[in-house]
Amino acid sequence: MIYLDSAATTLQKPPAVARAAAWAVGHLASPGRGGHMPARRAAETAFACRQAAAELFGVESPEQVVFTSNATHGLNIAIRSLVKPGERVLISPWEHNAVTRPLHALGAEVLVARSPLFDRQGLLDAFEAGLDARPAAVVCTHVSNVFGFVLPMEEIAALCRRRGVPLIVDASQSAGCLPVRQDVLGAAFIAMPGHKGLYGPQGTGLLLCGGREAVPLLQGGTGSASALQTMPDYLPDRLEAGTHNLPGIAGLLAGLRYVTGRTPEAIGKREGALIRRAAGELARLPHVTVFRARDPACQSGVLSFQVAGMDCEAVGEALSRRGIAVRAGLHCAPLAHESAGTLETGTVRASVSDFNTPAEVERFVWEVSRLAQSSR
Amino acid sequence: MVYYLIVCRSLTYAQRTAAALERAGITARILRSPKLIDREGCSHSVKVAERNLTAALVVLNRAGLTPKRIFLQAEDGGYREVGL
Repeated sequence: MIYLDSAATTLQKPPAVARAAAWAVGHLASPGRGGHMPARRAAETAFACRQAAAELFGVESPEQVVFTSNATHGLNIAIRSLVKPGERVLISPWEHNAVTRPLHALGAEVLVARSPLFDRQGLLDAFEAGLDARPAAVVCTHVSNVFGFVLPMEEIAALCRRRGVPLIVDASQSAGCLPVRQDVLGAAFIAMPGHKGLYGPQGTGLLLCGGREAVPLLQGGTGSASALQTMPDYLPDRLEAGTHNLPGIAGLLAGLRYVTGRTPEAIGKREGALIRRAAGELARLPHVTVFRARDPACQSGVLSFQVAGMDCEAVGEALSRRGIAVRAGLHCAPLAHESAGTLETGTVRASVSDFNTPAEVERFVWEVSRLAQSSR
Repeated sequence: MVYYLIVCRSLTYAQRTAAALERAGITARILRSPKLIDREGCSHSVKVAERNLTAALVVLNRAGLTPKRIFLQAEDGGYREVGL
């Protein structure tokens, strides 16, 4: 199978990830819940993972690295921490339901910084104007999970800092393949999954906390201050109630070490080259519409396309039968599709990882060309 | 043997504390705080030898790592809090 659905979950991982997760199942207990060797080993593994993440993402202290079960979990914590019911929030037009649904549940007044796809300056202008409405927070994805549009995050972060508005960054599609630095962005929170570009197992995620007060979603045991009936007021304990996912954390540590060794810049360069190749060849096919950026810096390893006369789900099914895994539909991001004018039709998304090859991209393009011919 | 227990606010803080001390060449071991000195229930301490306490406090001060409290464990097994 040619796996081109890494924007959902990377499937090919460095071998050390599975080894670490399997080893953890039989050897690691709960960090902080005992003085015995399995608990101590678990504590060492968790701390090593926090340290590796802190170094990779420019976080001042490992205590500010909180384990979550995915990016959605982290985004929910971040949004609950900064936004009160009914307050105004400014978001990009490319947000995932992981952002828009929590805001909807809070009854937040959502302002969208509307601008065309792949238009960085237009987006910055829209954010600048939206900040005049004095939102309680800005929530912004670093990369669109549908179109691979790389948003000008450093510039957006600078705007927020200048206006004194806290920023929540959704780094779901950028962590591991683009530079994501808390010390550069100065964000209130940065949420990311462990199972995509960091090559960890599913059920892992990180929330990088930038110093704002954090509100826990869950209350429970933390292995600390147990005589108190309130959650500890310090990180990471405040946000980590219950037993940790140590097999996941051990695997995530192995993934972080892989990414650190390769560097996000090198991974992003490789993925970008693969997706530009795919986009260039798909764009030459009749009856295929490709959503691609003119400026290569504006698009990551994610690409959306449509085949004329074919439902996007039918394209996804047909490619699956030919041994190619892509994702079709709305990609849990109806706002992004609405913003690009594809809400009614959806798109087919191909997304690569560091483990895909040019030969796989060639085969994918060839299969799409066959489909496009047969659809006429 | 007489040693000191540096009580930390969390396991992760204790890990940072121990790592800073080890980097400075001071042997430091993390353990769950004895119940007798644990006011809030469940905490972690970093154990250092009596002779190393002064150097340890200098290292921690430089690293911006503030101990919550410090206890001396005497040879009779009792604990006595040490003023910071």
